[in-house]
Amino acid sequence: MNAEQTIEKVRGSRIWRSVFRSGTGNSTLHRALAIQQNIFLHLFATKVRKRMVRFSATWYLGTLTLGTFLILVITGILLMLYYHPSVPQAYADMKDLQFVVSSGLFLRNLHRWSAQLMVFLVFAHMFKVFYRGAYRTPREFNWVVGIVLLLITLLLSYTGYLLPWDQLAFWAITVGSNLSSAVPLVGNKIHFLLLGGNQVNANALLRFYVLHCVVLPIMAVLFIAVHFWRIRKDGGLYVQQSEPKAQAPSDSIEPAQEVK
Amino acid sequence: MQRIKTILSSAWTALFGDPVRAFGVVSLVLLIALAIAPAKEHFSEWHRYQRQYLKLIHNRGDALSLQRRFQPGIHQIWLPNLGVVDRCTTCHLGLNEAGLADVHQQPFSKHPAIPHSLDGFGCVICHGGQGAATTVSEAHSSERAGEEPILPARYIESGCGQCHQDQLPGTPQLNLGRSMLRRYGCVHCHAITLPDGTKVVATDHPPSLAHIADKTTREWIFSWLKDPQAYSASTTMPDFKLSDTDASDISAYLVSTSTPLPGDNATLDVKSAMSADPSAGPSLYGESFCSSCHAVQNAAGNLVGGDLGPELTRIGNKAKPEWLKAWLQNPRTYDATTPMPHYRFTPQQIAILAGYLQGKSDSDYGANVHLDPGTAVQIAHGRKLIVELGCAACHEINGVQKPENFAPELSSIGSKPLAQILFLPGMEHALSSYIVTKIRQPRAFGTSVKMPQFTLTTAQTDALTTALLALTSRSRSMPDSLRVAEIQETNYQPAGHAGKLMTELACLSCHRINERGGDMAPDLSWEGSAIQQQWLVGFLKNPNTLRPALIRRMPRFNLSDNDNKELTDYILAVYQSPSIDPDFTLPAMNAAETVEHGRQLFYSKYACQACHIVDAKTDKGYIGPTLTQVGSRLTAAWVYAWLRNPQALRPGTIEPNQNLSDDDARALTAFLMSLKGPGRRGTKQ
Amino acid sequence: MSTPKDFAAGIDSDQRRSPTRVVFVTRRTSAQVKVSREDQVQTFPEVLFRAALAIELLAILLVVFSLFFNAPLEGIADPTHTPNPAKAPWYFLGLQELLHYFPPVVAGVLVPTLLIVSLIVIPYFNINIEASGMFLKDRARRKQIFYIATAGMLIFLLLFHVYVAVAPTVIVALGMVVAAHSTPESPSQLRRYLASKPLSYWIMTWFLLELIVLTAVGTFFRGPGWSWVWPWRS
Repeated sequence: MNAEQTIEKVRGSRIWRSVFRSGTGNSTLHRALAIQQNIFLHLFATKVRKRMVRFSATWYLGTLTLGTFLILVITGILLMLYYHPSVPQAYADMKDLQFVVSSGLFLRNLHRWSAQLMVFLVFAHMFKVFYRGAYRTPREFNWVVGIVLLLITLLLSYTGYLLPWDQLAFWAITVGSNLSSAVPLVGNKIHFLLLGGNQVNANALLRFYVLHCVVLPIMAVLFIAVHFWRIRKDGGLYVQQSEPKAQAPSDSIEPAQEVK
Repeated sequence: MQRIKTILSSAWTALFGDPVRAFGVVSLVLLIALAIAPAKEHFSEWHRYQRQYLKLIHNRGDALSLQRRFQPGIHQIWLPNLGVVDRCTTCHLGLNEAGLADVHQQPFSKHPAIPHSLDGFGCVICHGGQGAATTVSEAHSSERAGEEPILPARYIESGCGQCHQDQLPGTPQLNLGRSMLRRYGCVHCHAITLPDGTKVVATDHPPSLAHIADKTTREWIFSWLKDPQAYSASTTMPDFKLSDTDASDISAYLVSTSTPLPGDNATLDVKSAMSADPSAGPSLYGESFCSSCHAVQNAAGNLVGGDLGPELTRIGNKAKPEWLKAWLQNPRTYDATTPMPHYRFTPQQIAILAGYLQGKSDSDYGANVHLDPGTAVQIAHGRKLIVELGCAACHEINGVQKPENFAPELSSIGSKPLAQILFLPGMEHALSSYIVTKIRQPRAFGTSVKMPQFTLTTAQTDALTTALLALTSRSRSMPDSLRVAEIQETNYQPAGHAGKLMTELACLSCHRINERGGDMAPDLSWEGSAIQQQWLVGFLKNPNTLRPALIRRMPRFNLSDNDNKELTDYILAVYQSPSIDPDFTLPAMNAAETVEHGRQLFYSKYACQACHIVDAKTDKGYIGPTLTQVGSRLTAAWVYAWLRNPQALRPGTIEPNQNLSDDDARALTAFLMSLKGPGRRGTKQ
Repeated sequence: MSTPKDFAAGIDSDQRRSPTRVVFVTRRTSAQVKVSREDQVQTFPEVLFRAALAIELLAILLVVFSLFFNAPLEGIADPTHTPNPAKAPWYFLGLQELLHYFPPVVAGVLVPTLLIVSLIVIPYFNINIEASGMFLKDRARRKQIFYIATAGMLIFLLLFHVYVAVAPTVIVALGMVVAAHSTPESPSQLRRYLASKPLSYWIMTWFLLELIVLTAVGTFFRGPGWSWVWPWRS
């Protein structure tokens, strides 16, 4: 019994079939079902234009952004195991991560750098979509969802910036949050609401922690789901029509084929 | 070539031929990459040090017990109430191993013996550094906000000073530094508030300059300002590096605003006395024990005498004769708070002493200084300089307010973040070196720096630096239970007429009473219990020294009999110790055998003659007071109580507590009380 | 052939690719419906594995980077000691740089709000990145407007001393000048390319360049007191 047979046997087993609704088989139908019948994958279309799979079409920026988000979720959950959102324990936890926790510094590095990269990738993705003209009807709402995701990403990064409770964090948030005071009339109220006080303190840390670890990730996941689902609903990844060279052979329905 | 190409392309196909295959290969690479992080951990510094330690103890005789006590992994001392998380012991593995006393290889050597347990305080509280870190560079030299590099060993006493505001016998450098902060008047300009909220108060006595023109000339002020050390090597007045114009203008202002005092022109008709015996001056100077407080430079250039008052080597250059006489007559006319006693000199004595002092001059000093009277512009400029330089922070000056917070506060200087310090080129990047340089060459930090130049030895600078480094922010957050407070100076003031007399005689300049006063002479708080009245009367009339080895002695104040009696009565009535029974008697007081028994105890059992002299012919003990006349000086009650427990009566005395039995103490008391001395003047009255 | 029908119907079938499609086209509209049909691939496994591959390569890159470069960690937050300069996260440094020139209500509130609003409305305002070149129609008038707008922008920037924002403006303006003097028949490929670009392209490019320049200046060229420093002269 070779490996392939073993795999086939596993896939044919009752347990496997109870888990994956698509059943076994390598036919186009089964492959389509693998996407369609999976709660996570059904967000995607079962088929994609071959042209759009090429790297040059999208530079995979959306996929890579999702990749950074996944890394951030995984490392973030692990980091939460070592983190207390209180002053000054938050900073002591950074030190513990660096000096005592196994691979703690590596975890934090990965989280930090992924976050920076994610912000960059989101911007890059937005500009790429714009220059491709992929925001136009019927995709305009997905563009708006994308803008919302950009804001969520920025807020995630910004709230996460405070959590180490070091000088960098404290003053970056101080500088950033002071901008909200500039809003006419209600500026100080917004500032107070944002920080839970008149300056960056333990309340602000707790507030940012909740936003960073609960509220914003849930919002991000929801909007990412909408974002993906809308790609399928809006007709798949946008193909530039005006590119004369890239035009694939089309078989249009001609009036000649009119049914008599 | 073609072959390689074929192999490469087939390898590429084999690995990345289709997405699934490539996915498998890349997943493998990702897993390997993820595995590097824990592997990297294994080669961390502290692992290496622990392996080295195991190798070190492997070949030792006590290897087994050392190995048994060794625990692999990260060690830490965690003291939540002190905020201590010290992981130093992860690498410093031998700190508590008595067996490793011979190992000098860091980080494994044993910690020197200290009064505190390492586990109770951790390392960082005394040594600085970042306790949480487990790498050498992070632990020893981190400079981030809230972190500090390791404190250089030469300033280690500053660690003690964070909790101990009292004087510890083991921290001479810290003690010196702290006394210098007061004595050199640092705290006139730089406020220092201790963690318990008390302010450090200066103990120097910068003279008021309100009547300076009575005392000295403008030329002297000019020379003095230009270089205080040239006049008096021991002065604490710093050098402000003034230009000739600036010094001249300041002197012009001081002289022009000086107001004359009525009593400052003592015109004494003592011409006859002036021509008297040339040795009268020096002998009066000696008899009055001026040198207990005032120093004079001898031929070899060494200062001889005390440092409580100003050096008198060149007093003739400075003091105007009329002022000097008025001063000797009653110093409190000129300066109500001077520590100088009011000697009851006769006019003739004043003339002799003034003449003698006037002769102490240096003809070269200030010889070329001739100043024209100051113009209004110069005077105004002088005032501006005085305000800028903060002269009034120390000296009282007419027309200039004492500035508040003239210089930066130093209450937390020991925790000044390195990021806030501008280091000079070539300076070691450490707080201690910044403080040292700031004290040694304040003006090197820029021309706008006003801090003057002090003349200090390296030991003094290090001591000051140690005292300043102890002023950390950590010392403020310590639990109160750990703080050892300084013995606070009270504002005790003796009452009544006798009290006024004691103020005039400046008893508290040298003696300490009820936690106030100097430490030059014995504490008098319980003197009334200790001494006999007759002896005190005689002693005040003509003090002789009790401790032959001392240079500083009690001066003679020439008190009138009335004053003497008043003072004596007051001391005997008021300065009574509650722990001494005034009705104490020795039942067998006169029994000769008891005295003889006491003598034997004195010479044989307790060998008191090692420090004390009872028989001037045979005994050679110079450490303790001479006891030849102790029987007519001290009360039996005091002697008995003293023998039982000297430290209870005078904490810190070097007299050992021998834990005498009651019988022995009584016998010794009987013996000592029998020592009436040969015909003392005091007792003959 | 007897009665004209209201619609035309077509049928298409290629079972290899997709199910049978039937199309009805009413007579009132054009029958020239073009349906481009091109090769498609199954999402599973072709696309999913490619995506997974891309994510894994990214992860490897980040893991290796994280092994060698530590995330910054300063000393513990100390409200009493302000570092100079106190900088926001890098992606906000463009705004912080603007804050240096304009009052907070402009740089901190107005500009970000306008940016977000304009980004959201882009698809609803019929902004067409694939529209025809900006200067292909009505060239003389558009050139006039363009010159006035560019000059106004530059004067505005110079008035507020925003010199760093001048360079991107000038670069974009130069590109537009070239475009204004080019035709789609130009022999130069670059000029053909520029001539075909609509206004939205130019505005977005200007925004992108400003974003990059302001962020870079805020990140690398600003020292104590937000003064200009050269990063290579530490």
